Amino acid sequence: MVFMKKIGEGLSCSIKTEVTGELVYIQEINDVINLFDKAAGKICIVDDAGTTTLSPILSELTGTISTTGSAGSHLAIVSREFEIPCIMGLNFEIEDISSLNGKKAKITTEEENKGILYLLE
Amino acid sequence: MKYITFFTESTSNPALVGGKGLNILKLGNIKVIIPPGFIVNTNAYKNFIEKSSYHDQLNDLFSKNIKPKDVLNHSKELKSLIMGSKFPEYIKKEIKEVFDEINNKLKKTHSYAVRSSATIEDSKAFSFAGQAESFLNNKNFDEILLSIKNCWSSLFSPQALLYLLQMKKKGIDFSLLNISMAVVVQEMINSEVSGVLFTTNVLDNNTTQMLINATWGLGETVTDNLVVPDMIILNKSEFNIVRYDIGKKEKRSIQNPNGSGTILIENDQNSGSLCSLTTKQLYQLYDLGLKLENEFCYPQDIEWAIQNEVIYVLQTRPITTLKNKS
Repeated sequence: MVFMKKIGEGLSCSIKTEVTGELVYIQEINDVINLFDKAAGKICIVDDAGTTTLSPILSELTGTISTTGSAGSHLAIVSREFEIPCIMGLNFEIEDISSLNGKKAKITTEEENKGILYLLE
Repeated sequence: MKYITFFTESTSNPALVGGKGLNILKLGNIKVIIPPGFIVNTNAYKNFIEKSSYHDQLNDLFSKNIKPKDVLNHSKELKSLIMGSKFPEYIKKEIKEVFDEINNKLKKTHSYAVRSSATIEDSKAFSFAGQAESFLNNKNFDEILLSIKNCWSSLFSPQALLYLLQMKKKGIDFSLLNISMAVVVQEMINSEVSGVLFTTNVLDNNTTQMLINATWGLGETVTDNLVVPDMIILNKSEFNIVRYDIGKKEKRSIQNPNGSGTILIENDQNSGSLCSLTTKQLYQLYDLGLKLENEFCYPQDIEWAIQNEVIYVLQTRPITTLKNKS
């Protein structure tokens, strides 16, 4: 039995398809290099300036999450180009984002473009 | 001039001025306010590489097949050779001549923004958005020359090389020998408020609405997602505000008061409860959006900045995602 726990909410800035993937917290370019051939199925989380960092693998990702930004951020623009669900300005309801690495999560969109991130346990 | 393209020139050749440069030339030929400046075109980049004393080493690196694990070293070597190469005197002379002319016309204290305009940006095959860099608040000619070289070397940043490797996996093989970069040099707008205006609500692909992101200070905090900006949705057929979400706007980017570049400073604690734009400014942006959409015959993604109540257009490009249905 899978339980869904809401862990954050922000602005849904791209395609509204519901997706499930494995969370990866990207903090530096080496994290992207390590993901280069295994980006498929991943939902990547960045803090700020994640655009340039994530771009090389963006087309293979399942979803993108940023703790800041909005529809006009380059990350949101490029996510829309690749038709990948993207939540910008997501407020996490947990303290340690790194603890989410490797965990399964789901992105959904509710009314007024609310993007919700659920942890699947 | 061989290495400089003026904003008033009419060219439709992205191979000469890059994607961003091409859109600025179009703006230069309609009645909107853009910061004065010029484009150092791709002839300058090509000649710089050709005449570099490291030309052979650069060509070897451009031709080498690299793997993802080599990207950091490869990028470092290319950057070091480009930054270590000298400008041919005739290119330097041409840039200086145009710079002096513009600089002498500007009476107030000012600095310059130096922005990359890669020839593979806005390509139909793939997007290069956000890969190449901009260098803001250059105080003098020498700083501008340095930033031009920095722009050129950003073509080979680790993320740009990874991006090209990713495209190679998909069968689109761009040789580093064939990519090139123009550089846009413009008066730096020391904006009080800035942001992005989409003439369509990109959240829903709703063409009857516009969407604005706005924040205090320079606009890089919006495009680089350094803050949660204000988000305003406007009705398009007749001006009215459909939604106004006030963003936290914790930080703002400003010109470095002690040198070149920009710095981030904290905003007041109550910034999350204040609107960055007045209704009058919203109306002016609305009007600008209608005008540019009409001129370009397509919904636009516009970067703008307000200084002393004047709205400057920094960049415009077509919204690339309207075909995608949510």
